[in-house]
Formats: sequence, structure tokens, C-alpha cells
Amino acid sequence: MSKPVIEVKNLEKVYEGAVPVRAVNGISLTITQGEFTALKGPSGCGKTTLLNMLGGLDQPTAGSIAIGGVDITTLSENALIDFRLRNIGFVFQAYNLIPVLSAQENVSFIMLLQNRPKEEREARAQQLLEAVGLKGKEDKRPGQLSGGQQQRVAVARALASKPQFVLADEPTANLDSQSTANLLDIMERLNKEEGMTFVFATHDDRVIKKARRIISIEDGKVLSDD
Amino acid sequence: MFKLAWRNIWRNKGRSIITIAAVMFCVIFAVVLRSFQVGVWEHMVGDIVANNFGYLQVHQKGFWGDQSLDLSMDETTLDWDAMENVPGVRSLVPRLESFSLVSTGENNRGSLVLGIRPEEELSGLRLTDQLIDGRLFAPASNEVVVSEGLAEYLHVEVGDSLMFLGQGYRGASAYGQFMVAGIAKISNPELNKQLVVLPLETAQWMYNAMGLLTTVVVDLEPNADFAEVKASLEPVLGSDFELLDWEQLFPELVQTIEADMAGGQIFVTILYFIISFVLLGTVIMMVSEREREFGILVSIGMRKTTLAAVTVLENLMLLVGGAVVGMAVVKPVQFYFKYNPIDLSGQMKEAIEQFDFEPKLYTTTSFIINLNHGAIVFVIGLLVSSYAVWKIMKLNPVKSMRA
Repeated sequence: MSKPVIEVKNLEKVYEGAVPVRAVNGISLTITQGEFTALKGPSGCGKTTLLNMLGGLDQPTAGSIAIGGVDITTLSENALIDFRLRNIGFVFQAYNLIPVLSAQENVSFIMLLQNRPKEEREARAQQLLEAVGLKGKEDKRPGQLSGGQQQRVAVARALASKPQFVLADEPTANLDSQSTANLLDIMERLNKEEGMTFVFATHDDRVIKKARRIISIEDGKVLSDD
Repeated sequence: MFKLAWRNIWRNKGRSIITIAAVMFCVIFAVVLRSFQVGVWEHMVGDIVANNFGYLQVHQKGFWGDQSLDLSMDETTLDWDAMENVPGVRSLVPRLESFSLVSTGENNRGSLVLGIRPEEELSGLRLTDQLIDGRLFAPASNEVVVSEGLAEYLHVEVGDSLMFLGQGYRGASAYGQFMVAGIAKISNPELNKQLVVLPLETAQWMYNAMGLLTTVVVDLEPNADFAEVKASLEPVLGSDFELLDWEQLFPELVQTIEADMAGGQIFVTILYFIISFVLLGTVIMMVSEREREFGILVSIGMRKTTLAAVTVLENLMLLVGGAVVGMAVVKPVQFYFKYNPIDLSGQMKEAIEQFDFEPKLYTTTSFIINLNHGAIVFVIGLLVSSYAVWKIMKLNPVKSMRA
């Protein structure tokens, strides 16, 4: 049996305001090594909030999140940033690449933050860009790449730090069919060949069809887990 | 990090160039303003003090306060050799100075009468370069050199006679008739209006003060520090004499300089306030435009302190770039106006002359001013950057990525 990568217990997130909103309402789940999992549900169901908390970007109101056995809800801000740097890869809906850096530099940047040697950074960035089908585009800046290409650079960046898992928030929302298919093929291949764990928040059927585990969320609760 | 900061600067070239230009012009204006201000005073102090009155003067104790001939000192009571051997002392210049009513025909004026030995004098009173008509008086003669302004007022020319009437040493009458040997243009406007110069021995004779001096000017070696020389010279003189530096001799000049400097400082401060808000506007725009990117960088694992350091580095590169260019561009301007001062004319000239200042605007070439203003800009940069640091330190990556 694969070892658990993420263990969530009784997770809650309440946004305070004139009318408090309970975005995540008592979710417990476990993600194991090598999963290719989709969190699906309508807009506003709480899947992005859950994903942000899994990534340590947002703090829960109650409950715990253990990643590789570490309860990230107890970490200080800097410790959490360092933890994200070494353990979690992110792919965002809007690519979110650094516009002034080339494709290769965007991928290398995260390794630079990890203080890895220059030779290692360059070699791994080349290898990852080749793996996502962007050989020859290393020196292009984000503005010179298509949306699909940018998202592939984002995937390469997410993998560059050798994370325990990758969280992808609506990664195909801005892509056309062909780019979506290419991106999903790449991520599926990385999942199968390198055992990388992927967790998607999506309502894109093309992503959901590829997922081997689908967790349906509605009103901040897990509706089904197949 | 340097590479990232450098590229961020050029992502919005227009804004960066405007920021650099704003800093550059601010530094140029501030340095030019201060250079003129300091330069004018430097020149004035140099003219009044270094060339005419000296940085240090020796008198009989109490003379400077009373300005009375009765407080003159006997030449023989001074240890001239010991004084000249003090490090930093170039020469000692003996003088007898007093006041007399000087008249010719219908005109008369109270004048400063100065007995000197021209060959031993400071450059401003050697007179050979200052003569605009006639010649220098002969040693121990009954001849005088009259300043240009006084000659105009008295309507005298070379060859005319002047009558002197005043009070000499210990109440003796001091009077005499002297021939105008020459007319000199004294660079200090105040002196130029009232000075009559005659041989030291002649002045001693007229004031019944043979062998007496009112003043010994201490001429300093170039670059000698007057305070250090003063400290070394005081023990040599003993308690019967007073040794005053130029700031004690002319406290009103020091106050005027300080007041003028303070006024200039207010103007420069206003200038820096304006530039601070221009820069703050730039930083606010930059932070606003890049809030999303800041969120991404923190999300993927960049510490906020590192991110803040990058943004501070960006701002400092812009500011230091502008300041360095400004400091470099303004340097030739400083040199040009030091050696080619602006001649004031018309009402401004008259207004300046009313205060006995030479109506010329000089600059100083002191690089300290440039460095000071570069440092001020650097500090402004740090202060302005603190806004970006504050925004980054309280950044919430999720909210920022939605921006």
C-alpha cells in the first residue's frame, strides 16, 4: 500500500463577515503517493479553498493538514514558505510565470531559492522543459509563449523543486482542446513514469476523465470519493 | 536576485527612465543650489578673511572689543621667531589700524586707516595688483593709497592731497596731510568704500604710536587648519595677548552664513519632499501592478524578506543610478561657475552690494556636497522603499494572486 502524502482531518474554513461563509466544512481525506486525483464541484463549492489550504497558502479555521507527517497548520510563516518550497509544486489557472524571466529561468528560479548549484539547476531545467515538450523554447519569455506553452512551463516549474506532490488549480481553464490534451498527457506521463502525485481542483470534464480518483465537493463537504 | 531586480527595472522602461530622470534632476538642482550657496560664501570668506583680515589675528588683550589705539601692543614684546616657527604659520603681518576723518575740499568721510608694509601683506592688501591708477606709496613717505569707492566719494585723483584728523595713542591728536599716490580697487565692497592705506611707519608717526601695532595677522600655510594653528600658537603668546580666529573676529559673518545656509536648506528640503512623493508614487504603482506576482513568488517558496530585498534593491538601483548620473553631470557645471562666476547686474547687483557682498555668484567644487546629496537620495530611497517592504510583509498570497 502506498504511503500517505496528505492527511486531512476535520478541516474547516470559515470566512468571517456580516454573514460568515463556511467554505470548507469538516473535510477529512487522505491522498497517497502516486495518486492522480481530481477535486470536482461547481464554482464556490470550496475546492479551491481546500487546495489552497493543502498547499499552505491559506490557514484553516479548524482541523489539521499533515504533509509527509508534518502538521503544516502549526508552522510559522517562514517555516511554511520553506516547506512549500521543498515539498509542494503549484500549477495555477493563469500560469503565473515571472514575466521578466525566460522559460528556463522560470523553472530554475525555484531551485535557486533552494540554493541548488548552477549546473544542477540548468541541467534539471533543460530536462524538465524537454519533458514537457518545450525543447528549443528555453530562452523565450512568457509573453513569447502561447497559453498552453506557458502552462507547460508552469508544470515544469512545479516539478523543479522535486516536491512530494503537485497541486493544480483549474490548470486547463484557459487552454484550448489541443493544449489541454497535451498538458494532461504530460502530467499523466509524469505521474506514471516518475510516480509524481497530482491533485487537481477542476470542473473540466477532460481532466476529470483522466483522474483515477475523483472527489466531489459541494457546500464545503465531500459528497463522494470514487 | 540582482538579475531579477535588474530585469524588473526594465520591464517598464518609461517609468524607470522617468524615475531616474527625476532623481537626476533633483540631485542636479540641489547640488547646483548648494554649490552656489557654499561657493559664494567660500569666496567671500576667502576674500574677506584669507586675503584681507587673515584667519587668525593677534592683538593686545581687549583690543578687538574696544578697537582703541590705547590697547596697541609693543612690537618688541612679541616673540616673532617663536610665532613664526609654529607649524602652519607662513608669515606674520604687522598692522596699525584706526579711524580718521579724511577730507578734501568740501568732502569728508570717516575712514578706516591702515598702516601696512605692503611687501609683507596678505594678497588682498599688497596693493600692486589692486591699483587702478597711480602707484604704490614709497616706504615711510607721506603718501597714501585710497580705495576706489572712497576716492569717488571724495572726488580725489592721484596727486591730490588728503587731510586726516583723528585721535592718536593715549589721547594725542592725530592729523596729517598726505598725497594720493594711487587708487586701488579693493575686492571687498565694504573696504572699498572707506579704506585708506599708508606705510606702517607713517601711520605710527601720525597716531603717535611709534613701535606700536594694533594687529598681527597670522598668514597660514595653504591647507593649514586654523583651529590647529590657533591651539599651537596660544601657548607661545602668553596671557597679555588675545588670539582670535575669523569666526570670533566676524561673528556676524558667521551668523549670516548660517542663516543663508538654513534658508537654502529649507528650499532643498522642499525639493526633496517633492521628489520623495514622486518616488513614493512610483513605488505605489509598482507594488500595485505587481501584487499578483508578489503573491506567486511567495506561494512558490520565496521568503517575504527575500522578496522585499529584491524590491528595495530595484529602488536603490534606480535611485543610485539617477543620483550618480546627477552627481557626474553637475560636476562640470560646478567647475565652470567656480572659474566663471555669474556677474550680477542691475537691481540685483545693487541689492547684493548693499550688504557689502561682491555681486558675483561662484560655485564650490567640493565633492562633499555631491556626496551629501547622493546620500540623502539614498536615504530617501530606503524610506520610500519601506512602503513596498510593508506591503510585502503583510501580503496574503491567496488574496494577492486574485488581484
